[in-house]
Amino acid sequence: MRRFLKHNGLSVAFLVLFLAAVGGQAIAGHADFNEEQIRHGDPELSLGRYVVSADFGTAVMENWQSEFLQFTLFILLTVWLVQRGSPESKELDKAGRESDEEQKVGPHAQRNSPVWAKVEGIGRTLYENSLLIVMGTIWLGTWFAQSVTGWTQYNSERLDHHMDTVGWWHYLGRPDFWEKTLQNWQSEFLAVGSMAIFAVYLRQRGSPESKPVGAPHTATGVEG
Amino acid sequence: MGLRVALCACLLALAAAGCGTAEREDDAAAVSVRFHAALKAGDGQAACDQLAEETASKLEQQEQKPCEEAILGLELPKGGSVAVRRVEMRSAYAGLAEGSADFLDEGPDGWKVSAAGCRAVTPNRPYECELEG
Repeated sequence: MRRFLKHNGLSVAFLVLFLAAVGGQAIAGHADFNEEQIRHGDPELSLGRYVVSADFGTAVMENWQSEFLQFTLFILLTVWLVQRGSPESKELDKAGRESDEEQKVGPHAQRNSPVWAKVEGIGRTLYENSLLIVMGTIWLGTWFAQSVTGWTQYNSERLDHHMDTVGWWHYLGRPDFWEKTLQNWQSEFLAVGSMAIFAVYLRQRGSPESKPVGAPHTATGVEG
Repeated sequence: MGLRVALCACLLALAAAGCGTAEREDDAAAVSVRFHAALKAGDGQAACDQLAEETASKLEQQEQKPCEEAILGLELPKGGSVAVRRVEMRSAYAGLAEGSADFLDEGPDGWKVSAAGCRAVTPNRPYECELEG
């Protein structure tokens, strides 16, 4: 068990942090929702009903989709785009998908390479892009979920104001959907862009996200 | 295997949510039908029993009469059936076959009519209602 935790500390720590944060969000969101209900003289909701409501669903999904978009884009753009001096970037002359030899696939695969790296055909093509495919699929799935929960929430507000409801397709063109989407995207793009630039000049001793403290600012693709 | 179980669970949850919505739409529509049937029968008390508290008290204030008397003086459809029904979270819309619509809110006592005799006059603006809270 101890050995398992030592070898998987990063994923376990983030799993624990995620569960604590999402639990905290549910409790705080539920309290906030009920405060609003009381202000409007409406009945309160149980925690169980709140966590399956469109309010909680939208709050969770709009953040998830932007996080998965961030990683999807980062994976995709760093194939071709480089940043001189950044440990987040490949070396300047390695832009692109690289050769089979550099990627250790097909005849260049090593004895301990994953089995799908050794084969030819569609299986390998899928495996070569599997990280992007999974992250991109989760992004699209959570963005779709945000559109459905946001649409429900939007229609509920329209009914509260004695207005007719709108269809899902119509909702996708409404400012509400794009405001919820873009307010999350902009923060992700800012954070990733900042990281790529800050890491050129700043260091964190011991972190693989940083260059070694003594590495020159011009060293690209070097991790500490 | 795990993925398949998760997918089945999602589909079941979606189906259950769909069934739940249809039931809630029927419940909301039934309240609307009861409300208009009571007006047709001239039973003001039964009609007021279907109203949201805020809507009933606003009516009493406006008309300076008890709800059961005031409600019979409004130009609301007497009887009728619900042709379009929609539920979104705790709010519902019941479009009557004769043209006007009711809006309902879900509270601890179930669905209650918060506005009735509503018509869309200006696109993308709130409906204009004969009765609203």
